[in-house]
Amino acid sequence: MATETDDFAPATAVTPTDGLLVVAGLARRFGGVQALDGCSFAVEEGTITALIGPNGAGKTTLVNVVAGAIRPDSGRVYFAGQDITARPSHQIALRGLIRTFQLSREYPQLTVLENLMVSPQRQVGERLSVALLRPGRYRAQERAYLERAVQILDDFGLYGQRDEYAKNLSGGQKRLLELARAVMAGPRLLILDEPMAGINPALVDRLSAHMLRLRAEMSITFLMVEHNLDVVERLCDHVVVMAVGRTLATGTMAELRQNASVVTAYLTGGVADVRAES
Amino acid sequence: MGVVIGYIATLGVYFCIYNIFAFGLNIQFGYTGILDFTVITFMAVGGYLAGVAALGPEQPGTDIYYVLGLSLPWPVALLIGAAAAGAVGYLIGLIALRRLRSDYLAIVTLAAGSIVYGIVGNDTRLFDGFEGLVGVPQPLSGVLNLNPNDYTVVFLALCAVIMAVCWFLANRLYKSPLGRTMRAIREDLEVAEAYGKRTFRVRMSAMVIGSIYVGIGGVLTIWFVTSLAPAGWGTGETFVVWAALIVGGRGNNLGAVVGSFLVAVLFNEATRFLPAISSLPNLIPEIRNICIGGLVILTLWFRPQGVVAERKARFFVVPLQHGTVAGSAAAEVAVSGD
Ligand SMILES: Nc1ncnc2c1ncn2[C@@H]1O[C@H](COP(=O)(O)OP(=O)(O)OP(=O)(O)O)[C@@H](O)[C@H]1O
Ligand SMILES: [Mg+2]
Repeated sequence: MATETDDFAPATAVTPTDGLLVVAGLARRFGGVQALDGCSFAVEEGTITALIGPNGAGKTTLVNVVAGAIRPDSGRVYFAGQDITARPSHQIALRGLIRTFQLSREYPQLTVLENLMVSPQRQVGERLSVALLRPGRYRAQERAYLERAVQILDDFGLYGQRDEYAKNLSGGQKRLLELARAVMAGPRLLILDEPMAGINPALVDRLSAHMLRLRAEMSITFLMVEHNLDVVERLCDHVVVMAVGRTLATGTMAELRQNASVVTAYLTGGVADVRAES
Repeated sequence: MGVVIGYIATLGVYFCIYNIFAFGLNIQFGYTGILDFTVITFMAVGGYLAGVAALGPEQPGTDIYYVLGLSLPWPVALLIGAAAAGAVGYLIGLIALRRLRSDYLAIVTLAAGSIVYGIVGNDTRLFDGFEGLVGVPQPLSGVLNLNPNDYTVVFLALCAVIMAVCWFLANRLYKSPLGRTMRAIREDLEVAEAYGKRTFRVRMSAMVIGSIYVGIGGVLTIWFVTSLAPAGWGTGETFVVWAALIVGGRGNNLGAVVGSFLVAVLFNEATRFLPAISSLPNLIPEIRNICIGGLVILTLWFRPQGVVAERKARFFVVPLQHGTVAGSAAAEVAVSGD
């Protein structure tokens, strides 16, 4: 059912256990811009949830706050029932919340395979004493990671590029690498910031197929920022609509198409209309 | 004959010492991307502390003042010098590595270096100020009782062993998962952080290990020349280490070795034989700096990765298990092949 928030007061309806990820009344200001203004919603475990909204709605800011890259002025973030608000990024990642970036940010001067090999968390060989004095102790783990990385690269069609520097990949390949690298981290929740932006339709289909497969095989939950409503319609169980830093509506795509304020917000750029209504 | 051997051994000693400096900077900058613009400060800290650990108590009436004066054996002095350099690296890292921006880091290291320089130079009670330490005992010289040329050969052997150990450990670090994480941090700190890497801690490790390396080089320096004063570790010396790493090739230790040889040994020595002009005593050092500067610019222009480029990581080949998941791979290769 589509829940429409008519008055744009911060929704207080969410509780920490409403989903795998719960965002409650997040606010964040940049100088004169209120990028987030009481944004609340929940992402249920096992879903592929879309986060849509006009440019400048605050979607990337939300991802950054959730992942601990920037601090909110107020509001809370709960992951798996625990308060993770304003925790350092690496602590949030260690709990199994991995995010990708709106612009591909591979490690350019590492090979494709190395890009994946960095991802596993708390590697034995990352301890200084082991790295310097007892390299034998990480060999077995390294081999296991390597087998997994090679398999993931093969799944994503990047096996042939495994020894290439990541900076030399094409734009589409970089998007695939971004996802492959995130999968290698073994996340519980994967937040993708516009993974389909600027890639050709065939690749969009492949990425969609990968996401469905990952959900089935590795039970990864997805939150995906996306502008392409066809993709959202096909792929996502649940949609969160944002405008001017707030949650405008949530529901399935079919439900949202019936929702007048969503249609205006999305089709006309939203900001003026939403402000005028409130 | 002995003179020639002594001369070549002297070059060898400097070569080894600069290698260790360059390995240290390589761990900080080449592996981890830390812009350490005060490399030479760690050399000084290592040298001074090893010096006052090995020297006897200061003698009243000699007008030479310094702290400690513990008359410790040389291996202990080496450890003290290395540990002190690591500790100063840690303190500078505490300030410099808190923020993520690399320009901030560069400025903090420069400032910290100036502060150390100012304190050591002006506080004569620490290491005798601008006069510096003199008469630091050389390892084994009392036991062996050799003439200077022969002693230099023995000292070269010691330096070569220490340098080899440093090289071996630096390579081991590079190939380890920790080294890989350091390089990922070099490439994109925020992304590494988003993947659960404790970037502050990893960068601090690199900062401290690099400082220890440079400190060890400093201990070898003070042993070899038996004295150390601020004039010997100005900002210009930091520049020489940077030049060695840039010219040789950052991110790989072979590059550091090649760079040390080209910059620190070849250029230093070539300019030394230029005819001195007595009315312009600074001419030769200036020519040296101009040459090194020119070499750096040429390198960055024509071969920015350095003479020896960082090599790709090699993994042993793992066979693909073609099962259900991998079955789709054949179809995908066509699309990703562009
Ligand atoms: N670091 C920042 N400093 C100043 N303003 C910022 C910053 N980050 C975001 N903003 C502003 O906050 C608002 C929301 O930006 P955000 O990037 O979250 O939008 P978005 O929904 O991701 O848009 P898009 O669909 O274009 O990616 C914008 O007006 C933007 O200019
Ligand atoms: Mg965005």
